[in-house]
Amino acid sequence: MTVPTTAGPGGAGKPAALFELPPELAIDTDVARQVIGPFIRGQLRQAGFERAVVGLSGGIDSALVAYLVAEAIGAERLLCVLMPYRTSSPDSRADAEEVVRRLGATSEVVDISPMVDAFFPDGLEASPLRRGNFMARQRMAVLYDRSVTWAGLVVGTGNKTETLIGYTTLFGDSACAFNPIGDLYKSQVRQLAAAIGVPEAIIRKAPSADLWPGQTDEDEAGFTYPVLDRLLFWRVDKRRSDEEMAGLGFDPALVARVDRMIATSEFKRQVPPIAKLGPRTAGVDYLYPRRRPGSSRG
Amino acid sequence: MQTLTIALAQIAPRLGQLDENLARHHALIEEARGRGAGLVVFPELGLTGYLLQDLAAEVAMRLDDPRLAGLAAATADLSVIVSFVEESADHRLFIAAALLEDGRIRHVHRKLFLPTYGLFDERRFFAAGDLLRATPSRLGPGIGIAICEDFWHLTVPQLLALDGAQILVNVSSSPGRDLASTNEVGLGTATSWRTLMRTYAQLTTSVVVFCNRVGVDESISFWGGSEVIAPSGQPLFTAPMFEEGLFTVEVPIADLRRERLALPLLRDERPELQVRELSRIVAERAGLARDTTADDFAEPGLDVAPGDPVRAPIGFQPGARR
Repeated sequence: MTVPTTAGPGGAGKPAALFELPPELAIDTDVARQVIGPFIRGQLRQAGFERAVVGLSGGIDSALVAYLVAEAIGAERLLCVLMPYRTSSPDSRADAEEVVRRLGATSEVVDISPMVDAFFPDGLEASPLRRGNFMARQRMAVLYDRSVTWAGLVVGTGNKTETLIGYTTLFGDSACAFNPIGDLYKSQVRQLAAAIGVPEAIIRKAPSADLWPGQTDEDEAGFTYPVLDRLLFWRVDKRRSDEEMAGLGFDPALVARVDRMIATSEFKRQVPPIAKLGPRTAGVDYLYPRRRPGSSRG
Repeated sequence: MQTLTIALAQIAPRLGQLDENLARHHALIEEARGRGAGLVVFPELGLTGYLLQDLAAEVAMRLDDPRLAGLAAATADLSVIVSFVEESADHRLFIAAALLEDGRIRHVHRKLFLPTYGLFDERRFFAAGDLLRATPSRLGPGIGIAICEDFWHLTVPQLLALDGAQILVNVSSSPGRDLASTNEVGLGTATSWRTLMRTYAQLTTSVVVFCNRVGVDESISFWGGSEVIAPSGQPLFTAPMFEEGLFTVEVPIADLRRERLALPLLRDERPELQVRELSRIVAERAGLARDTTADDFAEPGLDVAPGDPVRAPIGFQPGARR
């Protein structure tokens, strides 16, 4: 069993820990891997697939997912797709290539610039939000095409922090066949990434959606991941009240702001509702496992 | 019988694949027999998988189903506990566990407590059982069967022990959750279950057998960790978490007698006291008797009089009663 005493391999005498890990968010990474490995194999087997596709951005979330998939089914069954845009950071590309190299997985680079620029000929006028969402959805379209050519399922890479605050693109980066890390906060992603051997440079660097040069999640949101993760953990998982959150030292204004982000993005975490008309309606009173006896695969 | 060999079939059933799971049961029963087992235990819904939802009706079996008869036929000189969806004559669906012995169905337990909270939604799809009975067995000591959530209610292990069970068997599909390094084994669920089983074994001075499945249904991973606990509360065996396997455990049955003589908790139990006090509580809750622990002027079945603030600890006010 692996229980962290320090965040990362630094330890006593080494000044810079790899990352900050709030103690209440510490997980047993061995148990996490024991759950996630069979989860990945189970999802693939249930769907009748043996291979997987992961979009590698160069960031920690997709790097961790690539490592977890490689550990679960072998790197030879993993296709990593790198999908840079012309303004994407070269460092991201290098980091993603390092993951591919270390894992020994198959990889492919698909430049999405022509697709995006063809749609936004007036590139400078479209807002960063529109452009960012469009890029995320182009990457989704590429991954689902490769899902066919590689005969593998698309594995999601969104973490619990960004899912809860809605820092995702609907039908973009959130689109996947299954997600092995969606119940892990960013701090826990870092902990698991360190345990499984994701390159330190990737764990260390500031998280970024890489939609424009120099962008970082934390600058854009105005708070750090350890603070946000702790806030979400106590608020969502542990159901703490306003008064109790204040007692834990959280700024009430920040709690209110995060509450709003969670509430506003509720729709992104749910299947779209279908107007109820007939006797049995998918998702309402027609409820089956995703794969079941009688399906053509399996 | 001085030693009983119990085989724990910590399997990962295929969701909805009854025929495949049935074949696996037959194979494991034979393997367990070959390893000298006297009792073979399969997990909750081992024949069907857990997260069935509307599939439950499609994999349900009546007790006269030839597939169950086929399993029972494989139990000559053997005791086997299997779990499946049972459809009653009036077409209710139950989560059931059956004791199969010497070629026939000896006993059926229908899950009493159906969790419908958090990640659970059992009451939507299943009916709750109404009967709790210990069953005699070819093994000698009486057997008490419970299914998963049944063991989160204190009365179940106690009633089974009072009814003559000396081996309490809980078959489970317990989903792993509350991953945290602060827990004993890294998983909150596992820590809670271990506490419960040791406590029940000690308080009922019984052998406690816990068979929990592994594998994945949709989002949920089942954590395994099947166990056998001695009547002293000491674990005799703990299976690994998350790994499939058929684990055999030698259980010194003579320890039951020694423990019950040394620690005669069941002898000293006061079931008539419980009946009396429970009858009172039931009557008070129904408003059929004055609630001795409620406020004056509280309505029947309520502890607190509406709009009337509590001035002193409930039930201990001196002075006039209604």
